[in-house]
Amino acid sequence: MLATPLPDAEEIRDNATFEAVLGALSRPGTVRDLPDPGPLCIALALLDRECKVHSQDETLSARIVATGAALVPAPEADHVFMAAASAEALEVIARLDTGSHLYPDDGATLIVPAKIGEGQALQLTGPGIKSVERVCLDGIHPGFWALRARLCAYPRGIEVLIHDGARLLALPRSTTVTEV
Amino acid sequence: MSLSELTGRWKAFSYGFLDPSAKRELRRKMIKAVAVPGCQMPYASREVPIARGWGTGGLQVTLTLVKPASVVKVIDQGADDSVNAASIRRFLSRVSGASETWDTLDATLIQSRHRIPEERLSRDQILILQVPNPEPLRGVEPNMSTARQMHADADYGRMWLQLYEQMVRSGRVMLGASYPAMVNGRHVMTPSPIPRWDVKKLHMAEHLTILSAGREKRIFAVPPHTRVEPLVFDDVPYKVEDHANLTCARSGVTGYFMNEIPQEDGSAGYEVSDSHFGIKAIDARDGGTPTVGQTWYKNGELA
Repeated sequence: MLATPLPDAEEIRDNATFEAVLGALSRPGTVRDLPDPGPLCIALALLDRECKVHSQDETLSARIVATGAALVPAPEADHVFMAAASAEALEVIARLDTGSHLYPDDGATLIVPAKIGEGQALQLTGPGIKSVERVCLDGIHPGFWALRARLCAYPRGIEVLIHDGARLLALPRSTTVTEV
Repeated sequence: MSLSELTGRWKAFSYGFLDPSAKRELRRKMIKAVAVPGCQMPYASREVPIARGWGTGGLQVTLTLVKPASVVKVIDQGADDSVNAASIRRFLSRVSGASETWDTLDATLIQSRHRIPEERLSRDQILILQVPNPEPLRGVEPNMSTARQMHADADYGRMWLQLYEQMVRSGRVMLGASYPAMVNGRHVMTPSPIPRWDVKKLHMAEHLTILSAGREKRIFAVPPHTRVEPLVFDDVPYKVEDHANLTCARSGVTGYFMNEIPQEDGSAGYEVSDSHFGIKAIDARDGGTPTVGQTWYKNGELA
């Protein structure tokens, strides 16, 4: 009889992180709990040698390099870790890869910090939402939402994972965001 | 960066069979699949210890999601006790320590070949469908690259033409399973060869569905509350199988999807396809008090 295999600490963390990411993406507007605060657990659950990553945080960059992922300029990256609080940040985000109609999966995943529950009120509709979801987000530049709408010319677009400590909210490209 | 730094500690066995890099790739692709409902995302599709075409796609998704607290149900054409379903379920619990169940209500992960259970799935459950052929356009366009371009252009004219020709030739759409459906108003997908009876269960559902084809290396998804509309003409309504008035010979339930059992005298007998739903009905008839969930169909009509 084989012994029941047990997950190690990394497997438990990666599994829990992805459960949160998948839950948040399939129900935009719902807040899920990450196993650890910050974007590092998201990076570790998703990234390896096959990935091209842009990160604007030096400590995080060092950990990302250790996964084998390549650090590249933002327009070439498939995963982008940065804040979206400034006008300069929006210029970088405007040039992210949004995939193509042939391969929508080439669109980048943007991982940004924000305060969930305060600030700009947003109304969300789209797949994963029964009627309408409302969320409030602070720490994101007011121009971001118009920019996101421009980038998300469905089925092209980017996924936005928003983390606030150990809380996670996700906006897939299929979600329509209206400022209220 | 040296190879030894990238290599993890030696382990006799990866938890959940798949190695961490295979899981990370599947996670990245599942994110994109959920973000663009119904669009086929290519993925690497690793080797697993069953032959391709026997549920390797679904198995890889389940192995990525599974954890010791998971409760897995595996069905094959509705049955929990078929060889394929039992083998996959036992494999899953052996490599992950997850519990096994036959009961739809208890399961957290439901891996299925070609059926969706009769009891409604809740928001905490994930349905993983095994897909033999993920390309709905294959019948009208054998070239994969051309078919991808047609999806990119939302060019589904030949799909419609095929349905129209079937109507002209046979008076009805001659598709039993894999009825093509428009997802989120943009991508036509095959819902895997589930019967027409089950396609409507995907429309605005509470649960997340992930469809994965291991041999064809394609993954796609239907998030909760997403439009899944079978392709139909305005004047010819979508018809599910004519099972509303059939009664299961073993459990006595009426109004659910049935398996046809040929009888010695040449007639047909019927038994309910969702085997554990039938077991619950037999248990209730024999004086037990099984917990039966809400069903999608009531008296043979979609509720």
